[in-house]
Amino acid sequence: MKLWKNVIIKPYQTMKLTQKTILTALLLGFTSLSFAQNNSIVLNFKNVVGNEALVLNEKLYTNASGEQFKVSLLQYYISNIKLKRADGTEYVVPQDESYFLIREQNPASQTITLPNVPAGKYVGITFITGVDSLRNTMSVGRRTGCLDVGGEGKDMYWAWNSGYIFVKMEGTSPQIPEDSLRKGHYFLYHIGLFGGMKSPTLNNIRTTTLAFEKPLKVKENGNISEIQLQADVLSLFNGSTNISLAQRPVVMANPFSQKVADNYAKMFSLKGIKKLKASEKSAEMVGMK
Amino acid sequence: MRQKFLFISFIGLAISSLSFINGNDTLFVKPANFPEPLYRFNENPLTPEGVELGRLLFYDARLSRDGTISCGSCHQQPSAFTQHGHALSHGIDDLLTQRNSMPLQNLAWLSDFGWDGGVHDLDLFAVSPIQKPNEMAETLPNVLDKLRLDSAYLLLFQKAFGNSEIDTEHFLKAISQFMLTLVSANSRYDKYIRNEGETLNAEELAGLSLFKQKCASCHAGELFTDQTYRNNGLKITNSEDIGRAAISLNYADKYKFRVPSLRNVAQTFPYMHDGRLGTLQEVLSHYETGVQAHAYTDPLLKGGIALSTTEKTQIIAFLNTLTDTQFLKNPAFSETGEAYNEPSVSIGDWTKINFGELDPTLKVTFQEALVSYLDITRAIAKEDGKSAKETADKLLKMLNQIDKSKFSALQKSLYISTIEDLSFDIEHISETESFQHQRDHIGDVGKNLFKLIKAYHANNKPLYYLFCTKANQGRGGYWISETPNSANPFFSTNNKCGAIKEELFNN
Repeated sequence: MKLWKNVIIKPYQTMKLTQKTILTALLLGFTSLSFAQNNSIVLNFKNVVGNEALVLNEKLYTNASGEQFKVSLLQYYISNIKLKRADGTEYVVPQDESYFLIREQNPASQTITLPNVPAGKYVGITFITGVDSLRNTMSVGRRTGCLDVGGEGKDMYWAWNSGYIFVKMEGTSPQIPEDSLRKGHYFLYHIGLFGGMKSPTLNNIRTTTLAFEKPLKVKENGNISEIQLQADVLSLFNGSTNISLAQRPVVMANPFSQKVADNYAKMFSLKGIKKLKASEKSAEMVGMK
Repeated sequence: MRQKFLFISFIGLAISSLSFINGNDTLFVKPANFPEPLYRFNENPLTPEGVELGRLLFYDARLSRDGTISCGSCHQQPSAFTQHGHALSHGIDDLLTQRNSMPLQNLAWLSDFGWDGGVHDLDLFAVSPIQKPNEMAETLPNVLDKLRLDSAYLLLFQKAFGNSEIDTEHFLKAISQFMLTLVSANSRYDKYIRNEGETLNAEELAGLSLFKQKCASCHAGELFTDQTYRNNGLKITNSEDIGRAAISLNYADKYKFRVPSLRNVAQTFPYMHDGRLGTLQEVLSHYETGVQAHAYTDPLLKGGIALSTTEKTQIIAFLNTLTDTQFLKNPAFSETGEAYNEPSVSIGDWTKINFGELDPTLKVTFQEALVSYLDITRAIAKEDGKSAKETADKLLKMLNQIDKSKFSALQKSLYISTIEDLSFDIEHISETESFQHQRDHIGDVGKNLFKLIKAYHANNKPLYYLFCTKANQGRGGYWISETPNSANPFFSTNNKCGAIKEELFNN
């Protein structure tokens, strides 16, 4: 008892006001941690073409303009993830850990884990396709992991027009006139543009909000849920504007890219929510790492 | 209580970021006549180790795919970090860049970078030239991998950032640190305007006054640019380069390019985004009578700028006062880190000096050098870049082996003040098989070699010194010949351009 008094209570009483504040804050912080009821949530992104799974390079698909096409590359940024509760409040994934680069070529990248989601009931999810404007203006030190322009993000960044490529899709179509330089029937869709720095330009950032059929319960020590999402490549071509590959084989930093962005705003849908058993937990893809 | 705590921590942060901005006082100092810099120094405070690492990276050709091109290849200090005399630059495989190499000076004050302002953060600029297929044709991850294999760089990164891990962030920040030290604010104009004891003569003062009236609406303030994008009425010769419009996506910006700073303008020729104008005279003539009346021309320039011949001379005299010799010669910015060798005796007008008798073995060396030079000019005239390259390589080795102790003090001073430029151009010829590229350099080789041969009376037969006005996009070019009518190396064989400037007898 004397120990308790001398070591803890007395020093606390003689502490200056600011020191007390800091200590109290720390203690509260620790206590909230120890009573935390968090768990992880897994997101899985499956890329499809209408009713079929996307198979790179091999399968020939058809778009709304009647054009056949093969896809050789598909990748996109998913960021700024939020989970919505029934009462309207949201859990916002800490921003620095909320950037993911999904590559069809890399199946492991299609599953991401959100750690430390507070316990509760969630009714929906919101995320951005692409990289938000503010991040596009941040210092190079704030661009790590999949945003690293000299690392994982190297092929999703325009060095000549500072900004990230949000959605990149490449492939071929027999309906595209042959490219004299590259000798092939290629299409290149590199969609970016975050709104501009010195003066406003196009903003192709799009937000997707999806509601769950049934509320998703997150419980500490409960099973981890996997939210299964789907990105339909056909939506990129068929949407508010039907896009013809023959007429527009190359879409990059130009005004037409807005039409593609308006289409991919509707690219995602919810396939379902699955409860994962311990053995089913997929490889972790955490934050920007 | 909590508010007090937050307030105190805010003040603490503010104070610490201030000290970061001031950082090391000698590496970056805001000149008294300049506005506040825009660069976020608190995110990348300058340190001597960081700047030194940046300088080494800037001049390291490993940043290019085949190890031949560094930043310094196209950004050369004596021409204010532009490429001396090049309208467009040569990248990997001798591919041409799209635009003229821009000066690297006072970058801390720029809000965006490049002729079209496509990059808004200095730290992110280097990624572009490194990865462009017609520039350095490399990828940033490859560059980092190359550096990681070099234990010297591991140590340098450790010293600069406390961490030997070479990552994107620190690589780019180091290069920025070096570039940020490139501050040019000590021209004669600056010293005059800051009352530091410099005077401008009547012609220069008249030019300054005219400049303020007729040029400063765009070339504004102490930075000599208002940092906007404009079209100055040049004839549109490349309709594919739409300039600023590619970035702003606003077609009203079509064919607009940035208003460049005019500091060191006398050294940064040729001018304009595609380097099409070789002299300041041509630039002013363009503004006087050459402004096109097309739809894209800036309203401020429609109809041109009225300038009399006298006024043009005065403005050019003023523009010459923007030359900052300290900046152009500062050893801290150079590749070797050493001062350019200043002659121990000031040469001044070398044509009036008697250099005395040259050591006979050196005379022979210069005669052999001349023979090599003549072989090179003949090869270039025949478009045989390969032979020219090989001979230039031999010539360079020959000059490097000269025993300078055989010169008298006066002869040595002239040699040292000339050999840097001479080697530079010979080296360029020895590094490429492209006769077009070699043509860009052969003129200056002739000029500098003739200077030495004439000064030392080193020739053992009469020589002719010729000049073709049309060479080098109108800047003209010299060459040496043993006959009064040899073909000039600047154009294909049998081109008749050329007039004898001087006849050098052997005596």
